[in-house]
Amino acid sequence: MNRDRKIASMSLGLACVMLGICATIVAQTHSIDVAVVVHPDTPVSDLSLADVRKVFLGDRQYWTSNLPVVLLIRAPVARERNVVLKIIYQMSETQFKQYWIAKIFRAESALAPKVVYSNDMANDLVTAVPGAIAFIDAREVRSGAKVVRVDGHLPGEPGYPLR
Amino acid sequence: MCFRLSSMFLFLLLADLAFTQEPPSSPPNQPSVKELLERIDRLEKRVNELEANEHKPIAIRAASAAQRPAAPMQSQQPDTASALSAHEQMPSSELQQVETHYPSLQIHGFGDVDFSATDHKGSNSGFNMGQFVLHFASALSGKVSYFGEVSFTAEPTTYELAVERSIVRYDYNDYFKLSFGKYHTPIGYWNATFHHGAWLQTTISRPEMVKFGGSLIPVHFVGAQAEGNIPSGGLGLGYNVGLGNGRGSLFSKAGDSGDVNSNRAWVANVYARPSRLYGLQVGGSFYGDKLSTTPGTKFNEWISAADVIWSKEHPEVLAEYANVHHRDLATSQTFNTTSYYVQVAYRLPWEASKWKPYYRFEYIHRPGVEPVWDFSTTPSVVDLVGSLVGVRYDITNFAAFKGEYRRARSAVNEPNVNGAFFQTAFTF
Repeated sequence: MNRDRKIASMSLGLACVMLGICATIVAQTHSIDVAVVVHPDTPVSDLSLADVRKVFLGDRQYWTSNLPVVLLIRAPVARERNVVLKIIYQMSETQFKQYWIAKIFRAESALAPKVVYSNDMANDLVTAVPGAIAFIDAREVRSGAKVVRVDGHLPGEPGYPLR
Repeated sequence: MCFRLSSMFLFLLLADLAFTQEPPSSPPNQPSVKELLERIDRLEKRVNELEANEHKPIAIRAASAAQRPAAPMQSQQPDTASALSAHEQMPSSELQQVETHYPSLQIHGFGDVDFSATDHKGSNSGFNMGQFVLHFASALSGKVSYFGEVSFTAEPTTYELAVERSIVRYDYNDYFKLSFGKYHTPIGYWNATFHHGAWLQTTISRPEMVKFGGSLIPVHFVGAQAEGNIPSGGLGLGYNVGLGNGRGSLFSKAGDSGDVNSNRAWVANVYARPSRLYGLQVGGSFYGDKLSTTPGTKFNEWISAADVIWSKEHPEVLAEYANVHHRDLATSQTFNTTSYYVQVAYRLPWEASKWKPYYRFEYIHRPGVEPVWDFSTTPSVVDLVGSLVGVRYDITNFAAFKGEYRRARSAVNEPNVNGAFFQTAFTF
């Protein structure tokens, strides 16, 4: 009887530990910050969330007169894209697609955002294409990329809005 | 019995957890959970280090690029192919992904099929083909782009082909973009936002005040236009200013083949999109022109318009007002036609947000005698009070069904006409 109780209590203890680990993993997954990364030559280092929105809505299309913005956005299902749709665009996937079709055919923009399929690809392109801006998981931003402060905060700092 | 046994087992477990004297401890030779987590952290750190080493060449290149003296701006023109040529180690598939070739033509088509049935005397119910529309957008270089729109409209014996928009635009920067061609006149919101292609708009039809083929507002404009943002911080101001031919000999058309007089029409539109209220747009527009209904008659036309828009879909609110003022230059008589509409829609959250019910009220009041509208035997602008209620169902991201009930009267003392309308609209 004692043995059974001990086994039962150990099982319960183990289950609790597993639950704790899962909760920690889930909590960590949800608190991962998404960094706004630009090409190193881009003349911005601090943008408000409203400015980031303006850029990604295609309302601001030039960093300077000779340096157009090149939007890079992750393909559907990526967490970075979900964060962008939820916080920046405040749109569903359908609304986002409809928004860009309408934007282009209102003659407000000639090109839609370029689609990137991984954080590696986003890292490669944002450091290579002048004027490029992308959202990358903050843990995967490579040295050499320029991370922009959003509302005065860098990823990982309290008050950072993109998480 | 089974329930009692289960309850007892659960009770024993809880009691054991609460009162056990000997907390289960890990055998000394087995690592604890804390130690395992620390080990995972160390391994993650190691993986990151290895990955960093693997990517070092790219990082070094980027760092050296950052240290380079700023290249002349011309070299940063968005000829992405040349910009990328320095990065030989980047996979070619990634290069192709972002490379823009000029011209980069994109074509989208729009179509719709409609069904209507009304109690208007003499009207027939039945299906009809909506406009078949092709949109073209092409970047000609980093700063020059072209936009075109052609429509095919079903007529009793043929399809009428029309160039609805044809615009070549030069972007100097965000504050100044200059274009030439044929536009949808930037008066108010709807006319400059929803073009041909019923899929783009929530409802089946456009409001009467901006309907295609209507005369109240000159829907098209041939000429030149400057547009851009106005530096205004969080206020988000923007503008459009245009100079063009104005109305053609048929008031509902623009003077594509040339102006009917030597006077240019002008249009100015200013709007605000405050950053603190994302989704809100407030705008005002003015339009001026000179018209001649018959040789020897001259009218000044002055249109003032305002709009308040909440473009998010929870809810979506569109409200526009326009006043068209005509002044007979011979008699100094003035005529004002007032119009507005309010449209409210709400994208329902369930079923993947596919349902969007909507309601619109619209109103046009014109003088009993208006020499410009009554120039031909059939008045080109009606005195309208109407409303509609309907629902849009997005079958996919690119196709929708819409169903609408409308009730409107289109002249003073005329009876209301009721009708049911259905549409499937799509883009391809």
